[in-house]
Amino acid sequence: MADPLRNLLIFGLVVLVLAVLAWPRRGLLALVSYHLHLTDRVRMEDALKHLYKAHLAGRLGTLESLAGALGIARARIVRVAAKLEASGLMKTTNQGLELTEDGKAYALRIVRSHRLWERFLADRTGLTPAEWHQQAERREHAMSPEQVDNLSARMGHPRYDPHGDPIPTEGLELPPRAGVALTALEPGQAGRIIHLEDEPEETYKHLVDQGLGPNMDILVQDVGPEQITFVGEGREHQLEPIEAANVTVVPRAAEPTLVEGHRTLAEFGPGHSVVVVGITSACQGQQRRRLLDLGVVPGTVIEPEFRSAAGDPVAYRIRGAIIALRREQAEWVFVAPAGEREGVA
Amino acid sequence: MSPCVGCSANRNEQLVQLGLDPTRWDYFVALAGNPNTGKSTVFNQLTGLRQHTGNWPGKTVIRAEGVFENDDRRVKVVDLPGTYSLQAGSADEEVARDFILFGEPDVTVIVVDATRLERNLNLVLQILEITDRVVVCLNLMDEAKRHGIAVDPKKLEKELGVPVVPAAARQGVGIPELKAAIGDVAAGRITPSPFHVEDYPPDVARGVARLLPALEEAFPDIPNARWVALRLLNGDRRIEEAVLAGTLGAGPEPVAGHEASGSEEPLRNAVLEKASKERWNIGPDFQDALSKSLYDTAKAIADRCSLTGGKRIKFDFDRSLDRVLTSRVFGFPLMLFILAVVFWLTIEGANVPSAMLAGLLIDTLHPVLIGAGTSIGLPWWLNGFLFDGVYLATAWVVSVMLPPMAIFFPLFTLLEDFGYLPRVAFNLDKLFQRAGAHGKQALTMCMGFGCNAAGVVATRVIDSPRERLIAIITNNFSLCNGRWPTQILIATIFIGALVPASVAGVVAASAVVGIALLGIVAMFATSWLLSRTVLRGEATSFSLELPPYRPPRLLQTLYTSLIDRTLIVLWRAVIFAAPAGAVIWLISNIDLSGASLAQHAVGWLNPMGILIGLNGVILLAYVVAIPANEIVIPTVLMLTVLTLELAGVGGGDGVMFELDSAPAIGELLRAGGWTLLTGVNLMLFSLLHNPCSTTIYTIYRETGSARWTAVATLLPLVLGLSVTFLVAQVWRLVV
Repeated sequence: MADPLRNLLIFGLVVLVLAVLAWPRRGLLALVSYHLHLTDRVRMEDALKHLYKAHLAGRLGTLESLAGALGIARARIVRVAAKLEASGLMKTTNQGLELTEDGKAYALRIVRSHRLWERFLADRTGLTPAEWHQQAERREHAMSPEQVDNLSARMGHPRYDPHGDPIPTEGLELPPRAGVALTALEPGQAGRIIHLEDEPEETYKHLVDQGLGPNMDILVQDVGPEQITFVGEGREHQLEPIEAANVTVVPRAAEPTLVEGHRTLAEFGPGHSVVVVGITSACQGQQRRRLLDLGVVPGTVIEPEFRSAAGDPVAYRIRGAIIALRREQAEWVFVAPAGEREGVA
Repeated sequence: MSPCVGCSANRNEQLVQLGLDPTRWDYFVALAGNPNTGKSTVFNQLTGLRQHTGNWPGKTVIRAEGVFENDDRRVKVVDLPGTYSLQAGSADEEVARDFILFGEPDVTVIVVDATRLERNLNLVLQILEITDRVVVCLNLMDEAKRHGIAVDPKKLEKELGVPVVPAAARQGVGIPELKAAIGDVAAGRITPSPFHVEDYPPDVARGVARLLPALEEAFPDIPNARWVALRLLNGDRRIEEAVLAGTLGAGPEPVAGHEASGSEEPLRNAVLEKASKERWNIGPDFQDALSKSLYDTAKAIADRCSLTGGKRIKFDFDRSLDRVLTSRVFGFPLMLFILAVVFWLTIEGANVPSAMLAGLLIDTLHPVLIGAGTSIGLPWWLNGFLFDGVYLATAWVVSVMLPPMAIFFPLFTLLEDFGYLPRVAFNLDKLFQRAGAHGKQALTMCMGFGCNAAGVVATRVIDSPRERLIAIITNNFSLCNGRWPTQILIATIFIGALVPASVAGVVAASAVVGIALLGIVAMFATSWLLSRTVLRGEATSFSLELPPYRPPRLLQTLYTSLIDRTLIVLWRAVIFAAPAGAVIWLISNIDLSGASLAQHAVGWLNPMGILIGLNGVILLAYVVAIPANEIVIPTVLMLTVLTLELAGVGGGDGVMFELDSAPAIGELLRAGGWTLLTGVNLMLFSLLHNPCSTTIYTIYRETGSARWTAVATLLPLVLGLSVTFLVAQVWRLVV
């Protein structure tokens, strides 16, 4: 009491210690829990996933590729591999490491858990796309098969994760792989993105930053040796071929509705009248559901009515009601000035 | 698990119980509709029960129930949450959907806004897919007429295939007809044959067609097979469970032999397996396509039923008013002015009745009760415990709390009924958005100035889980009614005294306003912090409907806001205050080795109190007066007298009291060792400390989560302790 300065110092120290301990994701507690979670089982499961991926790509994994994928020392990898082999999940052949049928089923269960988590995080939480993968990487290991099935039921048995990857069913079934790499499209060909590869992380982040995502309709304009140019949702995108190889598309014959230079609802102020063309593929889950329920579906006439005193949000007349939408939401909605499109009132 | 998953689960439990309830009524009616269509007004008109009806989309979250009689039949009505759709995307929608499907009401009444037919028909079409026993109440016919549009109820009835009753529920028009129609459908005198949407997107239609045979084999007599198939394709968990359990009903009376039997089980499993297979074939934009076909059909029907052609309602008056109330220039000044008037009326208007109540309950009735107790021979301790403890605390809470709330809440409700409050949320949303919160939090915050518990209840209008939690947790930063008197008193004694008497009043008042503003700053800062840390993972979805302006009904508002808000909150406060009075009396009168428990406690708490610039008396007062901030000052005074062992001041050990003049209180407090620092820190601590127990309990009820309740309780307390500590240290360094 006698010395306020000393008190302040103690207070500062306590705050500092607490911050160092409990800082989200970087604090000591977070680091400790991360390392505690990295058990041998988790490493084995990660190894299975890697080998399964290699299997899908028609290759066999090696100890080197495993060590690279898991980011751990070779000595440790040997131990993990020995354990896998002892459990009958993997066998070593002359060509490399090969999954057994049990190993494939185990890997599929982990994949199922991972993709369900990603779907959950995308639809039911406010986390960013970059965080979905990270979180799912951790949570996929902590689930019993019953918990996974439960999660699936709660989500309404989603069939695809937010990257467009199919989620294995309870019986671990997967549909035949569809689509081609974006690099396979010719100039002038249209298609719909069905999948973004989420590894390596840098490439994925770059694709997401460009605004690309599953269910986005695109039109390839130019294919060069160094750049592939295409339009999607009214914007021009350029990707290097190595990046474009991570984008899977299904070619579509019909002229895509969202390709051309449509404008967003946010560009229209009071006094205009516009017709909804579609909602961007980036808007998913609850947010998309909410817009649809409010009547923002293709063909709906929307009239911006007035702005709030702070300028944002803006009140729109949508199917008879005055609904306030934030700028962020209005930017998700593609529109055309009313009367320009045929067949819509 | 997020709290809202929890609360929807809670609701489901209640729901199952209701569905199983023995039939003490002959018919059982569910009331559904879009938000803001006057659904609650229809409910009130049907049942005569006064349920609060705000001009707010999404008001009725917890269902209200009532009973009316028609043709000697007792009809129970359950008011479902207002929703735009039944796709079970939000907790409200899930409740409404489950109720209509599994509650199996005899009749589902859908309240439809005649001025926004197309939007409302979207919901009607979805309900018609689930159940045939529907009556449509075409409400707000008067409003439609006023805006120059006309809908043909007969034509709509033909289109929908269910009875349509035009009504203007506010005036009671159409209510007898509605009751008759409910009776006709319930008794089977009318068998509706509802319209079904045919226009499904091709891949969905194919999936439904492939699933139907298996479904109809397993459940030969369900009326809504197509809809069930659709929901199964959509992976709806509740429907899957119902299929597995064989509880998909055929109607209100369970079909005999409908119990799960072994032979049906393989059939049911086959249905689910088939659905699982079909799910690969429907596209990812299933939901989009479905919504579009529903809205397109709704528009086509609405157009055919319109007598005024494509003419759209102008709402000229509304728009002119909106242009002023939400204008860049006048929007904010008008808002501040209106809110200032509300607060001024509350504070000024409450003075006289508060004094009268205190005079009656405390000055007059209290001595009478003590006297009566003595005269019938109650032992002194029982007399003291009952009347000095329990009664006095309760009386204190009532006299301080009741008058301001009885003024504040009706005023607020009038603004709400008129439709102004959604505009306030609209104007302020940008500010709240930056803090990661919802514009409607502005309203719950204002409500918190009246009473935090009421503010927490009011967060029900926020339909996004994350934003609602933020609003609940930060509501305590609104300086509530019970804390204003403390602030004013302490500011007068310690801060007013610093300046010449002529400006003392203004300076003291500014200090109090400053504290309230500090609370708003703390609210924004905490909201920002919460939305970026612990609440980052919660789901968020913004929507804000601006309803048409409607003339408020004075008497009804007065009545309902008194019943719904004031009395309920007051009742809870009384329940919590009575035991607190008992505790205060007991700790002051039970002696342990020569000193009362209170004196011991004050001694223990004193070092800690002094460290943060307060003292042991204040801390003890905050501990025992947790039920109500109103009794903090009386408790502080009583404890000060007790610890100083003054004779002749106050009413004795354990008897809370207040002195008539502020200077006299100041003298007593200074004798207790209070300084300017104590005064300032008490004002800060009064703003930043745990919510009162009424509010804590309400938070628990609303979130259904002990974790969030703990966060909401401890966060302001930790903040308050830190702030007072820092202020005290810096003060001692500088002064």
